[in-house]
Amino acid sequence: MKGFTAVLLIWTLISPSSSGGGSGEAWPTHLACRSGGLEVLYQSCDPLQDFGFSVDQCSKQLKSNLNIRFGIILRHDIKELFLDIALISKGSSILNFSYPICEEDQPKFSFCGRRKG
Amino acid sequence: MMFFSRLAGALIPAMAFLSCLRPESWEPCVEVVPNITYQCMELNLYKIPDNIPSSTKNLDLSFNPLGHLGSHSFYSFSELQVLDLSRCEIQAIEENAFQNLNHLSTLILTGNPLRSLALGAFSGLPSLQKLVAVETNLASLEDLPIGHLESLKELNVAHNLIHSFKLPEYFSNLLNLERLDLSNNHIQNISHKDLQVLHRVPSRNLSLDLSLNPIDFIQPGSFKGIRLRELTLRSNFDSLSVMKTCIQNLAGLEVHRLVLGEFKNERYIKDIDQSALEGLCNLTIEEFRLAYLDDSLQGAELLHCLENVSAISLVSLDLSHLKSLCNNFKWKSLELIDCKFEQFPILELFSLKRFIFTANRGGNTFIKVKLPDLEYLDLSKNGLSYTGCCSHTDLGTTRLTHLDMSFNGIITMTSNFLGLEQLKHLDFQHSSLKQMSDFSVFLPLRNLLYLDLSYTHTQVAFHGIFDGLVSLQVLKMAGNSFQDNILPDVFKEMTNLTFLDLSDCQLEQVSQKAFNTLSRLQLLNMSHNNLVSLDVLPYKPLQSLQVLDFSFNRIVALRKQELQDFPRSLAFLNLTQNEFVCVCEHQSFLQWVKDQRQLLVKAENMVCAMPLDMKGMSVLSFRNTTCQMNKTVISVSVVIVLMVSVVVVLVYKFYFHLMLLAGCKKYGTGESTYDAFVIYSSQDEDWVRNELVKNLEEGVPHFQLCLHYRDFIPGVAIAANIIQEGFHKSRKVIVVVSKHFIQSRWCIFEYEIAQTWQFLSSRAGIIFIVLQKVEKSLLRQQVDLYCLLNRNTYLEWEDNALGRHIFWRRLRKALLDGKPWSPEAAAEPQAPSRKQQLLPEKK
Repeated sequence: MKGFTAVLLIWTLISPSSSGGGSGEAWPTHLACRSGGLEVLYQSCDPLQDFGFSVDQCSKQLKSNLNIRFGIILRHDIKELFLDIALISKGSSILNFSYPICEEDQPKFSFCGRRKG
Repeated sequence: MMFFSRLAGALIPAMAFLSCLRPESWEPCVEVVPNITYQCMELNLYKIPDNIPSSTKNLDLSFNPLGHLGSHSFYSFSELQVLDLSRCEIQAIEENAFQNLNHLSTLILTGNPLRSLALGAFSGLPSLQKLVAVETNLASLEDLPIGHLESLKELNVAHNLIHSFKLPEYFSNLLNLERLDLSNNHIQNISHKDLQVLHRVPSRNLSLDLSLNPIDFIQPGSFKGIRLRELTLRSNFDSLSVMKTCIQNLAGLEVHRLVLGEFKNERYIKDIDQSALEGLCNLTIEEFRLAYLDDSLQGAELLHCLENVSAISLVSLDLSHLKSLCNNFKWKSLELIDCKFEQFPILELFSLKRFIFTANRGGNTFIKVKLPDLEYLDLSKNGLSYTGCCSHTDLGTTRLTHLDMSFNGIITMTSNFLGLEQLKHLDFQHSSLKQMSDFSVFLPLRNLLYLDLSYTHTQVAFHGIFDGLVSLQVLKMAGNSFQDNILPDVFKEMTNLTFLDLSDCQLEQVSQKAFNTLSRLQLLNMSHNNLVSLDVLPYKPLQSLQVLDFSFNRIVALRKQELQDFPRSLAFLNLTQNEFVCVCEHQSFLQWVKDQRQLLVKAENMVCAMPLDMKGMSVLSFRNTTCQMNKTVISVSVVIVLMVSVVVVLVYKFYFHLMLLAGCKKYGTGESTYDAFVIYSSQDEDWVRNELVKNLEEGVPHFQLCLHYRDFIPGVAIAANIIQEGFHKSRKVIVVVSKHFIQSRWCIFEYEIAQTWQFLSSRAGIIFIVLQKVEKSLLRQQVDLYCLLNRNTYLEWEDNALGRHIFWRRLRKALLDGKPWSPEAAAEPQAPSRKQQLLPEKK
């Protein structure tokens, strides 16, 4: 498909235990990578801070193992963490997907349950 | 996957960078709850702020470069309950640093590179229940001077440099300790003497987390006779053999809940065989959980040491080889979450009361199960298809009270819950339900309290669909549809309903009797429909209604009677996101919105859709004055128009009176005795006497005419009279043209003199009145007159009301030209003293 542009927007929302203070403007949308008609963008939904995010490959054909790096200063305990992915092609939304990364009862990853700081 | 692997390394430089960016100025902390909670996160504070009230209970000082804590640092905060000192670069805590914190229950020291801890660092703190010392460079539990903290319930020392699991002697004082988190340390060996304290002071209720420690060896018998509430060992073993021996050596442990497994991002063990959990036979376990093992498990044999466990939970495992779970297990609760199954397992577990089978992917078809004691069944999020729902024969139980089939595939209703009369909770949301309209599906469910049918692609065509649900309290029908988009009378038997969700159902209309029986309903959600009006009549029987959500509809405005008829109990009414038309026509509604701000939810978000200039603006911003102004503008302009026209009519009618009044001031006394000398044939004398004289001499304004029969002086020559009396004393000459006029010699004479006189006095003074149409041939005889009449405007006598009116106006106007307005002249008209019938032989 020529000219196909998929935009992957990744929002993360960290622990709803925060008071939800920053009601003002949203964080800027960053570009993680761009190549061959694919753009990966991300934006932080944490009212307190922005974060860093990178993927090691940027192609429409995904390899079986994909390394994603994610850096953030923990300003909350990670009690719950969700990954929301919106796939947008040519301006219209194709897919909205929400994936629980950390649930209080089911720590899937070792960083779940990490303490603030 | 390398999630977060470098997190710790990245944190400190990033922190330092951010703190450099911060301005030097001291900012006051955020007051979250006045006098109770203060948040001073990342304010670049070098010391503890002194302007925080002493009544503060929660103080967050995290991410400030405090450096070290001197003694009595918090002396003034005697009421403090929670103190957060995360990542404050604290390297040293002096003696008595936390003195006087008699109510402190939680102390958080996460991420501080502690180098020196005075022996009395934690002295005081009689109420401390929770101490978090994660990532504090702690090398040993012995280093923590916390032996006197008898109220301590939770100690979290995860992510430190602890090598030894030796529980220090002071643990014998911590009799209330419930939770010890030692995860992510460097513990490799566990020996008998490490746990001596627990042997000496038994019967504890301790939960121990040792996850992410690289455990190589556990001395046999270390845990013998020890009773724990919970033991968590996740991602501890780097091979299967180590895992097996370690589990073997746990023998004799009595644990309420044992959690084994790995994390999704920390996996070491390969090639799991069925003997992996053999060692568990020597343990006493109530609940067992196994999570996130990479390799596929070879079947139920793995679990044979867990036959007598009451609850078992298998999370994110590859169970594709597991075909069946049969009766030799005495489990009461079974959770199979996010496991890979090739097919729905065959289940025959006679003691099972609670079965949770969720988030298991794979094209599964539900197979009949035999679970005769089952009370709680959760089959959600599996993409299951189910061709014959639902009766006791499928589930093998008649005791079911809770059934969750949400987020599945197609579920075909073939039976109406026969034998499942005990059901209280039923959830089908986001599964596709088939054959819902064929019969009363829920007929026997007279005990059901909760029913969720949201987004099940149900089209309600059959009015008996909800028959039998007499106890139902909560009904969720969002995202379905109704025949003809009209809400029919389907809730007939639900007299106990308190919660009803009908949002997103494409509803356009509500039938009058729809809610007749719902007198206990408290919440009704009608949002996201296509309702154009809020017809209050159907909502009248809802005597207990407290919340009514009408957002996201197409309501333009509410009518006046609708505004008064809401149920009295209503406390929250949501009308946001409708298509309000903010025009004066709906002024009473718009005013009502302003008056009812307490009743209306988010009234400030009610936005106008029309007219275009109000689009997107709040309904509250509509100003009534614009309507009032319009009214005043209209009424004022009507009054003005009326007055102007009255004035115009009056002016028209009393034109000459006004002229008279105005003239009185302007002009002085004139010279002429007469206003006009009338030249006419004596044949037309009737007309002159009856019309001309009558109208001009007796009307307003008053004109004095010179008439030969009346005003000529006897004994003077006719010609002299004509000159002296007629032309000389008159301002104007009126020529009454008629057939007789042209034929009369005197008349023509007079007319010729008039012309001469007009020429001499150079005044435009001759007014022609054509009394009757004169034939052209006759007129041509008098060439002069003929030309004049062709060139000049003349007055034509018409014998009808309008004609006359116009005639007299024009004549008066012509005569007024140059009239000397004087009251005397008007008051003393020249008395006609000398009458003369000089010219009887005129024709």
